[in-house]
Amino acid sequence: MTETGPRRVRGALRPGAGGPLGLRGLRGRLAGPWRVAVAEASMTPSISEGDWLLVDPTVDRWPRRGTVVVFREPGSGELAIKRVAGRPGDWVPFSGAWLRLADDEAWLLSDADDAALAEAGHGRAVDSGSYGPVGVDALVGRAWFRYWPLSRVGRLPKASAPPFARGPGPAPTSD
Amino acid sequence: MLHRVLAPRTTVRAHCDLPCGVYDPEQARIEAESVYRIVEKYNASEDATFRTRALVIKEKQADLVKHHLDTLWHDYFKPEHLEAVPNLHELFWSANKQVSKVKASTNIDDAKKLLELIDDVDAAWKATGGLAKTRVAGRPG
Repeated sequence: MTETGPRRVRGALRPGAGGPLGLRGLRGRLAGPWRVAVAEASMTPSISEGDWLLVDPTVDRWPRRGTVVVFREPGSGELAIKRVAGRPGDWVPFSGAWLRLADDEAWLLSDADDAALAEAGHGRAVDSGSYGPVGVDALVGRAWFRYWPLSRVGRLPKASAPPFARGPGPAPTSD
Repeated sequence: MLHRVLAPRTTVRAHCDLPCGVYDPEQARIEAESVYRIVEKYNASEDATFRTRALVIKEKQADLVKHHLDTLWHDYFKPEHLEAVPNLHELFWSANKQVSKVKASTNIDDAKKLLELIDDVDAAWKATGGLAKTRVAGRPG
């Protein structure tokens, strides 16, 4: 697990918030990226290695569940791509318990399951299951369209992603 | 040309762990040779302190043998390799059992038997193309 846990910093002091005074204000967001190439395999079968995607970098809040997003990975800070599986305020299962996402946090998961990845010779998917919730200051954009390869050009399929249903068990706590 | 213009300058990772894909029974063999030499030295010494240290070190090296054998068994070998090496599971089972035996023993024959079993694993690795597939430029000559 990486060292970055849930961020609980809120309000005006939050660094890099999307507002006009934030580090990543409108001008920063317009700088892109508008197009990205995908490396690695954890989003198969919907997105493959080598796909070229269009990104909308003007978003400043977590989009709907099921949307594919580009963000800076906690810990490494590298640009990564995953699907929104939980939005601010959602409960998500984590490490055998339930966790409530803060007002600025999302839960980002891979499309590929570990068995499929192992079969294709890859290791485990690395996503919120390993690094936890991701704060909105790490959000870079919303991936929405594939423009390469030509055989698979089109809007990215949106997954139906209902909120996690909290199962039976001890009452979860918010902090 | 068009392709180059269209190519994004930014790469995003659909991140998954990457196994390094380098496997060689030589790792297990070297630790097992340490065990062999330690047993020799143990039997040649009458110094109680030295003999105690030898046992502690033997235990650690033997654990490393198990670790390297398990990595080969779980990660390198695949179900399709059973065709070339039908007794694969039995082989690893015997080799790991032999490590346990060596841990509890100071008999040089037990340590020698372990080396032989690791040589059998090495043969299985070679029979399935391990040398060409997993080492970057073969074994150092």
